[in-house]
Amino acid sequence: MTSLLNALNSGKTSLLTNQKSIEIVGNNIANVNTEGYSRQRAELMQIPAVNFGDFFIGQGVTVSNVSRDYSVFINRQLQDKSIEYGEEMGKSNSLAELERIFNVSEDNLASQINDFFDAWQELTANPSGQVERDVVMQRGQLLGEAFSNITNELDTVAQNMNTEIISEVETLNEKIAEIAKLNERINLVEISGQTANSARDQRDLIIKDLSETLGVQTYTDNRGMLNVQLPGGMPLVQGNMAATIKTVTIGTDVNLRLQVAGSTLDIPLESLGGKFKGMFEVRDVFIAGLRNDLNTLAVDLTSAVNAEHINGYGSDGEKGRPFFDDITVPLPDQVASRRVRVALSDASEVAAARYIEAAPGDNEFALRIAQLEVTHRVSGTKDTFDNFFSKMVATVGIEAARNDLALKGTKDATIQLQNLRDGYSGVSLEEEMIDLIQYQRGFESSAKFLATVDEMMTALLQLKG
Amino acid sequence: MKATQGTTYRMLGSRLNDVSNDLERLRMIGATGKKLNKPSDDPASIRPVLNTRKQLSNVDRYLETMGKSLDTMQATDGHLEHVENIMQRAKEIMTNAINGSLNDADRTVLADELANLRKELLDSANGTVDGKYLFAGYAEDTKPFVEDGAFNIKLFDPANAATWPVSYAGDENATSLEISAGELIQVNLTGNNLFFGTVDWPSASALGGDHPEAGRYNLFNEITLAEQALRTNNTTTMQNSLDNLEGAAEQNRRLRSQLGNRASRVETAMDYQEGVRIDLKQVLSRYEDADAIEAFNAIVQQETAFQAALNVTSKVSQLSILDFI
Repeated sequence: MTSLLNALNSGKTSLLTNQKSIEIVGNNIANVNTEGYSRQRAELMQIPAVNFGDFFIGQGVTVSNVSRDYSVFINRQLQDKSIEYGEEMGKSNSLAELERIFNVSEDNLASQINDFFDAWQELTANPSGQVERDVVMQRGQLLGEAFSNITNELDTVAQNMNTEIISEVETLNEKIAEIAKLNERINLVEISGQTANSARDQRDLIIKDLSETLGVQTYTDNRGMLNVQLPGGMPLVQGNMAATIKTVTIGTDVNLRLQVAGSTLDIPLESLGGKFKGMFEVRDVFIAGLRNDLNTLAVDLTSAVNAEHINGYGSDGEKGRPFFDDITVPLPDQVASRRVRVALSDASEVAAARYIEAAPGDNEFALRIAQLEVTHRVSGTKDTFDNFFSKMVATVGIEAARNDLALKGTKDATIQLQNLRDGYSGVSLEEEMIDLIQYQRGFESSAKFLATVDEMMTALLQLKG
Repeated sequence: MKATQGTTYRMLGSRLNDVSNDLERLRMIGATGKKLNKPSDDPASIRPVLNTRKQLSNVDRYLETMGKSLDTMQATDGHLEHVENIMQRAKEIMTNAINGSLNDADRTVLADELANLRKELLDSANGTVDGKYLFAGYAEDTKPFVEDGAFNIKLFDPANAATWPVSYAGDENATSLEISAGELIQVNLTGNNLFFGTVDWPSASALGGDHPEAGRYNLFNEITLAEQALRTNNTTTMQNSLDNLEGAAEQNRRLRSQLGNRASRVETAMDYQEGVRIDLKQVLSRYEDADAIEAFNAIVQQETAFQAALNVTSKVSQLSILDFI
């Protein structure tokens, strides 16, 4: 009888275990589309056997642990690739904008420069023409507007990036704090010997996000807590302590500071990774370079035209007037490329003539200025004005093309790694369905077994009657 | 490793995305007919494209400038032809006077005709095109040649311009225009060069004073002197004048042929630039225009791929283990 009771008991454990397993399968199916979910499985273990005289008999089965399918290696790789993907991602939006500003259509700064010198060339054929003189001045003004438009658009791109950085930082701080909280929860759960599966899944997911935006590095300490730092080693999360990122606006640019344990540190570009690194690089290196080039071009063009113009005579017989405002030494807080302005107030001041009589047919200085387009080389280079500009456009084009390629590559790589991860940790409905059948049959057989034991016991009890 | 719902749909999604992005790019190429739509499409061809566009606009400008120059040159040539006829007639008159047995009245008639020829010459010298004087140098709004009302033959001194019958109010500067990169061409003749026989004005001739350069002539003075020789019936000076008039006519012919040479230079340059323009357009097209057949082939190809991807996606959703258990 004791052994029958034992059999009843082991049948019960089997019922419970199969039921538990089916619950876990149900949970897996429920989470089939949950991002970052790792498939869980019941780890079954037989209950230690008991010695019955000469031999041991098993006492049934139990769920010893609910573990998750998880590969540290794949997850690490995914994290690394996410950093690269984030960096290219951070560049791509602004580069698309820059491509629009430095376009290759028939209406860009190069064509404005062409038009300006073309107007001078036109003036050489009719130096006394009022219309031709007006056109020269208008072209000069349009050229100035083209310069300041590009400058403003570059500023707008930088401003948009600043706005994006500020809004992004808020969610970042939430995520950093969440990791510290999850660290604590995992520690509490696992101290009792269980695995905090869902908390770990959640933490991995946030780390993937943080890798993409900040390029963080992580390591796990002996309590199962994940420590997170910036690429340069600045700590974001230590155990259950989270640091905060603050944005500070210096001039027009937004920079990042880290507030950790009462002190505030500047976060330099080298300490950033992922999307933020990409954005800061475009803003502080790439756009800054374009601005510099644009200023060089503006200063060089205006001073080259002025150097000739100042020696020519206007139709009023006066000389010594520059055509553009002098921007070779810009005032502080002023951007040269925004200050390309025609200095003349009247078309009679356009200096086409070489001789003081300023005879109406005298076109020698108009010729000289018109020829600057082909003969002048921007200082320090071997480029004419429009070649210098096309080099800038090419720089943008090369960077955008590289970014395009790298973005595609890293995106493919992350997708593959995600597939690899899902191939290992993801929920496959087919697998779950088969498991479901398996556990269902297990449950049914246990029930059958119990019924059989019950019949045996009834038979025993009827012996007496 | 297993295929899960997540991996399958992620793969399908990214594939559909790739294909439709590609398709959009190809359609853009098909719609614009250009393969260079943004700098990243081909960074290496940006510089040649912008450079070629500049050259094209320069060529257009050169062609327009040359067209205008040719107009000026043709108008100038018309006047020069007239000058040549005048000088020819003056020579005939002088030959007639020297060879024929003429009485005073006849000579006076001829002298009067010479005076008229001088006036005609003056009209040609003050010829205009577009309201601008052709032979005034840079001072194209100033009437270059003015007859001296108080001219007195007795005070005439070839070395002193103030005593001449016609004075020059223009300047010595000929207009140059750029007809191709770096090549300047002189498109007109200055009055002093053509009518006063001196490139510089005031004359810097080695003979001193306002003399024409050696071997060159002042057309107005020569006709006036011839007229005077007729009126005084001095055979020696008449003979002299005839020689000088011949020289003056030769001076005009020489300058006219120089101008003609330059005009033909401009015409060749125009033909050349027209050719250059076609070449440049070809170059530009090679860099930025898409090959239409290739582009549309690629679109069709990509559309097929897109259709296939869509087909597979819909098939996947029809297949489920739930239908079999």
